Amino acid sequence: MSDFKCIELQNKDDVTIVKLRDDKVTDADRIATLGEELMTLSQPDGGRVVINMGNVRFLSSSAINKLIVLERRLSSGGGNLKISNLRPEVEEVFNITQLHSVFDIRSNEEDAVNAFGE
Amino acid sequence: MTETTQWNYDEWLPSDTSVGSKVIGFIVENMQRIGWPENELYGIHVSLEEAIINAIKHGNQRDPEKRVHVVVKSTPQDFYLLVVDEGPGFDPDAVPDCTAPENLELGSGRGLLMMRHYMDEVIYNDSGNQLELRKNRTPE
Repeated sequence: MSDFKCIELQNKDDVTIVKLRDDKVTDADRIATLGEELMTLSQPDGGRVVINMGNVRFLSSSAINKLIVLERRLSSGGGNLKISNLRPEVEEVFNITQLHSVFDIRSNEEDAVNAFGE
Repeated sequence: MTETTQWNYDEWLPSDTSVGSKVIGFIVENMQRIGWPENELYGIHVSLEEAIINAIKHGNQRDPEKRVHVVVKSTPQDFYLLVVDEGPGFDPDAVPDCTAPENLELGSGRGLLMMRHYMDEVIYNDSGNQLELRKNRTPE
């Protein structure tokens, strides 16, 4: 698990917390790697995942698509994805593209983890 | 004081996203140098990524035989970008509205939406392989 290039993982209870390492998620090869690494988080029974986006200042639509693919994969297995710690400029991108309708977005990591119990 | 600095760029790029990313960084640096503020540069940067990287990936399909023509004409007050790829083009009007509930999880249309949000003008030619973007700096 420590071999991931684009993400850092931490487990809290039965929730996997993912931090994206890069502040700028735009390089095509790096995004492909990110997508592959995110896919490893999808378990047969879905899984509970929080993506902490606190490091991310900038992301392209290709990077967003990787998050959507993960959300779809987790949901289809009965799992759930939450996103936390969006910086204002990234939150604007999510608002423009109406992704708040796709993702459960929480202000911080703790709220996101607690939200699984709601 | 009237700022008269201009910065222009005109190059043919290989269909290589790593070259595209370097050029985008170079353009953003120069826009910053001639006085564009950080908050406005964000939208320009997003639009450069979507326009140039899409031309390489989707327009030219990363074909090493094809190139992407990138032209920037900028002053501290206005930004113009021309991106032409050598692919078959596409119909931007046929791209699904990615904000429609039934399309929210689709993988296409988001880049176009972001460019339309951040730029004042987003114009494709008839065949869809040439894109022009314009943005006027917001008065302070």
